[in-house]
Amino acid sequence: MKIDLKIRRFNPSTKTGREPYYQAYSVEASEGMTVLEALLEIAGKQDPTLSFRRSCRSSICGSCAVKINGFTKLACNTQIIPAHQKDKELVLEPVANHTVLKDLIVDFDPFWKKMDKVKPYLMPAEKRAKEVAVTQEDAAAIDDAQKCIMCGSCNSECNALEIEKRYLGPAALAKAWRLVGDVREAGGRNRLGRLSDDHGIWDCVRCVHCVEYCPKGVAPLTAIERLRARALEEDIRDNHGAKHVDAMVDSVKKVGRLDEAAMTFKTLGFLRSLGMIPFGLKMEMHGKMPHPHLFSQIKEIKEVRTIYKEIERQKNKKAKDRTKD
Amino acid sequence: MKALKYAYYPGCASQEITKESNSTTRLVTAKLGIELHDMPKANCCGAGLLTDYDYDLYIALNARIFAEAEQMGMDILTICSTCLMVMSRAAFDLRNSPVLLEKTNKVLAKAGLHYSGSTKVKHLLWVLAKDLGVVKLSGMVEAPLGGLKVAPFYGCHSLRPSDALGFDDPERPWSLEAVLKAIGAEVVDYTGKTKCCGFQVDLVTEETAIEMTGTRLLDAKGQGAECIVTPCPFCHINLDNYQASAEKQLEADIKLPVFHLAQMVGLALGLRATHMGMSRHMVSAEKILR
Repeated sequence: MKIDLKIRRFNPSTKTGREPYYQAYSVEASEGMTVLEALLEIAGKQDPTLSFRRSCRSSICGSCAVKINGFTKLACNTQIIPAHQKDKELVLEPVANHTVLKDLIVDFDPFWKKMDKVKPYLMPAEKRAKEVAVTQEDAAAIDDAQKCIMCGSCNSECNALEIEKRYLGPAALAKAWRLVGDVREAGGRNRLGRLSDDHGIWDCVRCVHCVEYCPKGVAPLTAIERLRARALEEDIRDNHGAKHVDAMVDSVKKVGRLDEAAMTFKTLGFLRSLGMIPFGLKMEMHGKMPHPHLFSQIKEIKEVRTIYKEIERQKNKKAKDRTKD
Repeated sequence: MKALKYAYYPGCASQEITKESNSTTRLVTAKLGIELHDMPKANCCGAGLLTDYDYDLYIALNARIFAEAEQMGMDILTICSTCLMVMSRAAFDLRNSPVLLEKTNKVLAKAGLHYSGSTKVKHLLWVLAKDLGVVKLSGMVEAPLGGLKVAPFYGCHSLRPSDALGFDDPERPWSLEAVLKAIGAEVVDYTGKTKCCGFQVDLVTEETAIEMTGTRLLDAKGQGAECIVTPCPFCHINLDNYQASAEKQLEADIKLPVFHLAQMVGLALGLRATHMGMSRHMVSAEKILR
């Protein structure tokens, strides 16, 4: 069956390609044909000027991520017949949040620079440590994060990176968790301190796109959540992100639900909360200013507090067991 | 047809800052014959922040919510996309890991509770689009919206992660469009409809949040929308409360009224705007209501 494709072309070194445009192609598709096979067919038989990255053809090398009908996928891992059937068209574009160099090829340097920033290697204790036993549970904690093939699909779809280019992004943070969460790592606390600075773990907007579009099930958001939890365990709290979480934890323990007024105050602190007053007054005019929940607890709040207490007890026990080892 | 009965979980935001969403949902569901049963014990789902603190605590507190619904013998209906996502992820993990369920029940047992793993979590949007159905919904419309150009804004949490939510297609979502068409609106399509409103970082990296909000609003406006409708109170807070800040930061004129899903359906069912708390919105909806 014949399938029509539209591919976004761009080539700044030619007169005609300086402005991006869409070029139509058509391939004879057999069942199971992948987008990458279609690209190879086009480049081999129809248009040798078409540029794209590829290598392994089996979802391992991470070279061929592109936008397929608007969303980032591996070209080698997406079949063209179902993709075309679903959307009645097949449009290929370079990944987002990166500068396009030519056609489907983007400048990946910022990706690697972010990766460099998290020092993507284990740092064992300086003195020669005794051997570290790694249990199955220890390995499982970082197992998903280890599956990353650095294809950049998550960074392409990340809604925070779209706005804030300095954000480390989901790929580098998943790598950071792979190291911080490794029981053999000795520099975890230092790493968490750096990761808690501006444009680190607290820049994530929890849009969940990284989880949805990772072709390997890395779930970078889960890695970010674990980094945040570990940073709090290490008492790294001098930032709005950590204070925001602490305020929520307190609020649920106290009244069983979110106390918006207290959240704002505890997260921003006294001075920045003062800056919110004009905004607050405008909200008050519309009856929208949140008032503290002085008395409105949920029913049976005792159950909630018992759950908190039990979880804290288990946590302390775990920490004690760890230091015993 | 079986009576539509749900354990009602409005979420914290809709009990306070966006309480017009809660009160309107009660009016709309009453009119549609959907029974909502209050959950007086229900605690906050954590909005993702408890997950950042301690995964086990997040799971146990959500299991406590599910246990209450299980006792009531009903699925949960929420009107908050973030509650939907957070609770669905917890329910999904508990369903897929008997070890986690057992561990969580040991914690719950200390508080005299038990959760067997059966609770389903749904959004009002899903109930309208599927449980009630758009055919039935359109049959109950008294004041069709007359081709009002509405931009649906899903935001992130009503669509992703799609495996845990298990309802709509995150890439080509249909539910909000189907409901809007059923009540006589003209649907405006735009790329930002499934993206983030920025709410989660309002208090953390405010500039990012405001730019994100403004980008979505301008995107919808650029495609000819006269107003926006969202199934999420947090998206509403950003798109409405923060709209003036976005206008300032992006140096743009936006003035796009933002409605809660229940309000838009309420209009089509003939409910009066004054009964649906629209004066509580920061961006006036008057030009639409006229």
